[in-house]
Amino acid sequence: MSNETATAEPAATAQTDPDTPPLGLGASLLPADARAKTEGTFPYAADLWAEGLLWAAVLRSPHPHARIVSIDTSHAREMPGVRAVVTHEDVPGTPLHGRGRADRPLFASEVVRHHGEPLAAVAADHPDTARMAAAAVIVEYEVLDPVTDPEQAFEAEPLHPDGNLIRHIPLRHGDPDAAGEIVVDGLYRIGRQDPAPIGAEAGLAVPRPDGGVELYLASTDPHGDRDAAAACYGLEPERVKIVVTGVPGATADREDQGFQLPLGLLALKTGCPVKLTATREESFLGHAHRHPTLLRYRHHADGEGRVVKVEAQILLDAGAYADTSSDALAAAVAFACGPYVVPNAFIEGWAVRTNNPPSGHVRGEGAMQVCAAYEAQMDKIAKKLGLDPAEVRLRNVLATGDVLPTGQTVTCPAPVAELLEAVREFPLPPLPKDTPEDEWLLPGGPEGAGEPGAVRRGVGYGVGMVHMLGAEGADEVSTATVRVQGGSATVLCAAVETGQGFTTLARQIVQETLGIDDVRVAPVDTDQPTAGAGCRGRHTWVSGGAVERAAKMVRTQLLQPLAHKFGMSTELLQITDGKITSYDGVLSTTVTEAMDGKELWATAQCRPHPTEPLDASGQGDAFVGMAFCAIRAVVDVDIEIGSVRVVELAVAQDVGRVLNPAQLAARIEAGVTQGVGIALTENLRTPRGLVRHPDLTGYALPTALDAPDIRIVKLVEERDVVAPFGAKAVSAVPVVASPAAVASAVRAATGRPVNRLPIRPQAAVVTG
Amino acid sequence: MPPSGPLRSGPAKMCQSCHVGPVSTYRTATRAGPVGQREGAVGLTTHAPQAAQAVTLPTTLDEAVAVLTATPAAVPVAGGTDLMTSVNSGQLRPAALVGLGRISEIRGWQYQDGHALLGAGLTHARMGRPDFAALIPALAAAARAAGPPQIRNAGTLGGNIASAAPTGDALPVLAALEATLIIAGPSGARREMPVSYLLAGMEMLRAGELIGHVRVPLLHAPQVFLKATGRTGPGRALASVALVLDPARRGVRCAVGAIAPMPLRPLEAEEWVARLIDWDNGRAIVPEALSAFGEYVAAACIPDAAPAEDGSAQQLPPAVLHLRRTVAALARRALGRALS
Repeated sequence: MSNETATAEPAATAQTDPDTPPLGLGASLLPADARAKTEGTFPYAADLWAEGLLWAAVLRSPHPHARIVSIDTSHAREMPGVRAVVTHEDVPGTPLHGRGRADRPLFASEVVRHHGEPLAAVAADHPDTARMAAAAVIVEYEVLDPVTDPEQAFEAEPLHPDGNLIRHIPLRHGDPDAAGEIVVDGLYRIGRQDPAPIGAEAGLAVPRPDGGVELYLASTDPHGDRDAAAACYGLEPERVKIVVTGVPGATADREDQGFQLPLGLLALKTGCPVKLTATREESFLGHAHRHPTLLRYRHHADGEGRVVKVEAQILLDAGAYADTSSDALAAAVAFACGPYVVPNAFIEGWAVRTNNPPSGHVRGEGAMQVCAAYEAQMDKIAKKLGLDPAEVRLRNVLATGDVLPTGQTVTCPAPVAELLEAVREFPLPPLPKDTPEDEWLLPGGPEGAGEPGAVRRGVGYGVGMVHMLGAEGADEVSTATVRVQGGSATVLCAAVETGQGFTTLARQIVQETLGIDDVRVAPVDTDQPTAGAGCRGRHTWVSGGAVERAAKMVRTQLLQPLAHKFGMSTELLQITDGKITSYDGVLSTTVTEAMDGKELWATAQCRPHPTEPLDASGQGDAFVGMAFCAIRAVVDVDIEIGSVRVVELAVAQDVGRVLNPAQLAARIEAGVTQGVGIALTENLRTPRGLVRHPDLTGYALPTALDAPDIRIVKLVEERDVVAPFGAKAVSAVPVVASPAAVASAVRAATGRPVNRLPIRPQAAVVTG
Repeated sequence: MPPSGPLRSGPAKMCQSCHVGPVSTYRTATRAGPVGQREGAVGLTTHAPQAAQAVTLPTTLDEAVAVLTATPAAVPVAGGTDLMTSVNSGQLRPAALVGLGRISEIRGWQYQDGHALLGAGLTHARMGRPDFAALIPALAAAARAAGPPQIRNAGTLGGNIASAAPTGDALPVLAALEATLIIAGPSGARREMPVSYLLAGMEMLRAGELIGHVRVPLLHAPQVFLKATGRTGPGRALASVALVLDPARRGVRCAVGAIAPMPLRPLEAEEWVARLIDWDNGRAIVPEALSAFGEYVAAACIPDAAPAEDGSAQQLPPAVLHLRRTVAALARRALGRALS
């Protein structure tokens, strides 16, 4: 993603170390599907085809808020080639579904609550016919005024029978009367980021002879989607099967149930396979976005820059349906003070319903928005006291044993000071004037209008934290099976490979534990036991842990007879390169011989220690573990035009243990680049509730030229004792910290407050 | 890496219990589905064979015009960078296409008494090369800024004019150069039209007509094209400025793109600044004049808000004020670079 990767940087010593084994944990094992993906032969959902398939199209609401007077499908049904038209009347099971809370109708029946809400779906023998038939469904609307400002949602008429307030957390921690010598205030706004997966949604539904249906989807939570589908179709979960296809990019709950569920319904109704490939516009309208957030902060600090008290109000715009907004709000409130020791905190958080497109899980949700705000506050404290911004942060950083505002004690490694010092000490990149002129890349790009005399450089810091795994009592469990036969092993686990590298990790774990090089990972479907959703770094933890336990059980089965025979315990035997040797060298045999033609199976579960929900005053041990990251941003700003180029991001991250250095670097680079998008360009605009420019021309993702040089300065390997392998999730926390770092650097370059993300050009202009 | 293929990379069947296989081509249903509940007009199928879509590939301009005249529903396509997005998203289903890619007479350029006659089929990639940049530097700069390499390799000068998008990068340059379009009509007819007439909608292309060539004066003097975008990578212009010097007529010509439906020419500002340049003495100018020129251009293109009913002055919205500052900075920088 970056134009210069940092794989050869000093911090990534593990991969240049000649003693690194080529297999197992700690090796940069290549993904097994890398070649197929590079050559374009890897099958994604959009590539699937079945004999006699029909094409589906979904009719979506053009209004953000309207009462449905009537839906007339007769014209659509009469069109030649149309095989089925379904509306809310054709839903046999429960009409409501939803990821966090079941409050979303499969098809709108009385009211549409957001632009793009599904109303009907059509199956026809050609995609164009299906689209035309969907357009021929006549819906009579009584257009209502949309509620698009989350601040208005409290007073507005209820948009949904469940009301407009989805969740409210009033966190109270410490002494409300505590006061510091200085006070800094700020009002911050974060825009609406779209996960914009590079492959738009697609799926195929195939009816089964037993009256059930199989759905071929790029689902990241196959069991969750299966249960939702079964409930909507009025079928037992066993009769609905989801087969996971190749996932073309997922940084969020990737799939839009608004098209998955109609797909199966149409297949059940027509008895034919039905396929849908979403256009980019439908993709933008359908899936969940990052919560646009309004934050009001007041920090009290003493004269040395130590934070005494934080007061904050956080308002998340959840959009029309709840989705996972409750989780996002919990993260936002719990991490509202950031990785800093704050003795007194009073945080009010609300997630409210509006007629904007629904928000949901996008990695780092909640934590990213508050990070932009609390880091801006730290800059303000530094400015007010005339201190170095990094120094102010260092005076406040959290360490293991400190208490979060939720009352939870940080028990995992929290090397925040070490991370911040590492990025601060890292040498700054050279100024353009010290480099050859033809290598300059000024803000505005190679053919842009950048003028060296108007460019100012700024350096800023962002320190962020996220929680890992589901919070507040979510049952995080995963089951994996390892099978060994002959010289090869197979892993069966319903953890979806979304690009995060789980299949590669599973192979590495089995290689490490069993010494077998040839490890395959089976495709995922819902006939396997659940592994949960692929988010919040949970598969590295729970699914990786389950694979390790299963592999260890197979190891015991394999070694037990040998150990018994030689009168020693299995711990005294070791497996390397397919050979079993004892500690004293007496025994030496190959795995294949020891197997003796047997087939060994073992299934294991991993379930981390339980958590508890936040109580009425926002207190509770809600999180299983936390990960931290510090980023130093260096930006160039054209102060007349307001164009910003991020020159370099230096990253130091708390990773627990490096399991695959190459993938780790790729995950950090990807996360940081996504963060640069939030900071500078990515904002899905929805004036009056209508999604504008739902395409990749209007929604500007970072390109290779926008991605800065990403320097991985330090990876702190302090093992987290409760996590399998001691490893922490790495993908989300760079997304959280990098927007704050870029904003801090633009603040340093321009002296402007930079209270809004993405940073608009007019906010980065210095008018004299 | 283990020698055997991974299970996930390309299974012949996605599932053991049914007949679903991955294919990489776009196929539609070939026969009516087997069983099940059917509704509507059963048995009728709507997928017309794609071959019915006529594609003609003429090799001369007159052939192309003849085909377009004979088939009024046909749509001409050159690079297809604008047209195909509409086709792919299903918004446009042209009954027939006339491909212009094989007309060699419009793929290059030639000289014609002090002018260059540019073929409408010149791609942005071709215009961006150094030999072209030596002739018409501003057009070359605009072509290099016109998008990612894939777009520049396919998109053409004629297509940029015909699409007439406000953000078309070549358009302010052509407006500043006061280019003339040479339009090919039925039975070999050729007519000329200033490019601004077409962009302003004063004159339109008639049925069957094609933009054949663009005549551009060769000025042998510095030219600048500057563009402000939202990101460092290729992006649509928020504002752009093209500025050319005409030493023979002692003139400065400037056009501002992307802020209005067509490029804007600040004629008064041009005349004013041309008088301040010492044309005989290395085209020197006092530095204050550069800033003043920028302000003049910006104020001409983005005028102050009309006074309110009671006569009090109205403030422009902050976004418009920023746009005006951007135009001023671009115009100042453009003139500064042209005269340096």
